[in-house]
Amino acid sequence: MQLSDRVTGGFLVALGGVAVYGASLQPGVPGQDVGPSVFPTIIGLGLIGCGLLILLRVGHSFEAPDDVIPAAPGEALPQPPRFAEIRAFIPPLLLVFYTLVADWLGFLPTAAVMVLVVALALGARWRLALPLAVLAPLGIATIFMKLLRVPLPDGILPLPW
Amino acid sequence: MNDLLEGFRLVGQMDVLIAILASSIYGLVVGSLPGLSATMATALLVPVTFYLSPIAAVATIISASAMAIFSGDIPGCLLRIPGTPASAAYTDEAYAMTRKGQAELALGTGLWFSAVGGIIGTLSLVVMAPLLAEVALNFSSYEYFWLAVLGLMCATLVARSSPVKAIASMLLGLLVSCIGMENPAGAPRFTWGQPDLLGGIEPLPALVGVFALSEVMRALATFDPPPLPRRKFGSIMAGQWALTKIYQWPMWRGNVIGIIIGVLPGAGADMAAWVSYAMSKRFSKTPEKFGTGHPEGLVEAGASNNASLASGWVPALLFGIPGDTITAIAIGVLYMKGLNPGPTLFTERASSMYALYIIFILANIIMIPLGIIMIRLAAHVLRAPRASIMPIILMLCAVGAFATGNNMFSVLMVGFFGVVGYVMERNGYPVAALVLGIVMGSMVEQSFVTSLIKSDNSLLPFIDRPISGVLAAITAGALLWPVGAWLLRRRTRTRPPLQRPA
Repeated sequence: MQLSDRVTGGFLVALGGVAVYGASLQPGVPGQDVGPSVFPTIIGLGLIGCGLLILLRVGHSFEAPDDVIPAAPGEALPQPPRFAEIRAFIPPLLLVFYTLVADWLGFLPTAAVMVLVVALALGARWRLALPLAVLAPLGIATIFMKLLRVPLPDGILPLPW
Repeated sequence: MNDLLEGFRLVGQMDVLIAILASSIYGLVVGSLPGLSATMATALLVPVTFYLSPIAAVATIISASAMAIFSGDIPGCLLRIPGTPASAAYTDEAYAMTRKGQAELALGTGLWFSAVGGIIGTLSLVVMAPLLAEVALNFSSYEYFWLAVLGLMCATLVARSSPVKAIASMLLGLLVSCIGMENPAGAPRFTWGQPDLLGGIEPLPALVGVFALSEVMRALATFDPPPLPRRKFGSIMAGQWALTKIYQWPMWRGNVIGIIIGVLPGAGADMAAWVSYAMSKRFSKTPEKFGTGHPEGLVEAGASNNASLASGWVPALLFGIPGDTITAIAIGVLYMKGLNPGPTLFTERASSMYALYIIFILANIIMIPLGIIMIRLAAHVLRAPRASIMPIILMLCAVGAFATGNNMFSVLMVGFFGVVGYVMERNGYPVAALVLGIVMGSMVEQSFVTSLIKSDNSLLPFIDRPISGVLAAITAGALLWPVGAWLLRRRTRTRPPLQRPA
């Protein structure tokens, strides 16, 4: 998600303001001048300062052009996929999905759905995505539940062994 | 001497040896996959270390990170895509060698000098750590405060981005660390009434989100890397001894620079490689050959990034201040396993320290045979489609975060920090600074507030104690450095351009 420096700088100024305000609400420690408000206040002021500098585009010349390595001569860079910016948010949404349903649906079915969605979104054929959606959750569940004893939710479909 | 023997006995245990071998293979594979960095390999290992003995736990982190830093060279050399950011500095050079038909030489150089750098870095750790431990015993909260701040400043310097944005990232990290009840008053701070936030934000879910989940997100937003052409490799190690003799001086320079950068809190392998490659070009007798497939820079930078890996443990072990993002994770594991960082670690747990050194040396030795196998198998590993790797990484993010505290809130945190990391990276805010801010926040605050209480709100002791004065000066230098660099650049830009022979 490419945002302009104005947006990110403005956000930092606002966040710094909230931090300073939040810090001022902190209770003091009786008989002591330095309490829990000092550190967040300094950070908040720093964020406001940085945000303003970013708004003014100070330090912009230091930014490396991009991490993407330019194409070698005679090679064309392929175009990024369509809806790239929206697709990128699939994984965090899937994690939210996991926290919502894993407890009653169980680890295996939830994980299978997540694996299937990501694999298909990355352009896998069903031939690859389906076996992966069955085998990967089984493998991960075996390692984490049996070897590492992490209590992953059983839900409607417990691990068969 | 007894401690040394005890160290050997600790490493010689079966579970430790198996842990070293398994995590080495894991590190080699993860490091060689483009986009999956050494830090991510380490972060996803942490839930596994919960169930290992202390030495085995540390061994997995040491061997996986060392292998991943080397194997990041493989796709850089063959595909011109760095496997880890630490290989990015010389990816073009290595790829140019491959185009000239010298892929074996380039990969062999990466492997051999990685191992040499790792071993020399370890020796520096062995020599330096006990010496510094003596000094560190005199440190008080003032010095710890400056060390932590210096670490944070270095983290902002190494980012190849706008220093203002880097400092903003670091402050964001510090702000995240303010959340929770661990503050001078023990009062809930910035918790918005959420009981889950009372304990603060755990660094591990944040790390997994920033380094692993955001990588899955990026994979969905970018194109597939080109397939690797099948090729037969000749002898990998042929000619390496000759290179060592020719480029002995650059190799040593690379090692020393790597060690220095590693010891600096906050600066790690990526930075070491960039600085060393630039230095190699600057001091080379044949700078015009750089970029055309010339091994000199590879020798220097390849040694440098692995040397920094070992010396990055110096501040981690002595002060609990991470030398880079990998040791930021390692510190958490050390605390969890009862090996609390601090100068006394070297006197009270000397055998564990020897064990740690031995693991480092061992990992760098087995790197050579395992690395050769990995290079030969690279064609197959790199052929694995992203569509089959990324879903597994996503599930490991979810399960790994859940395993840290057996609660779903950590999983949500991974999602949150994944988004934060992704958006920040896209907009030029370096995420490593954010992570170090989160990890070191409570230490900075604690040492700052304790110091202020001790000095009765006077700022003077922060600068008039000898060691803290020096540390303060270095920190100020780190803060002013970008301003100086900017002024210098402006002056050179206003000058008429030099005539260069075409």
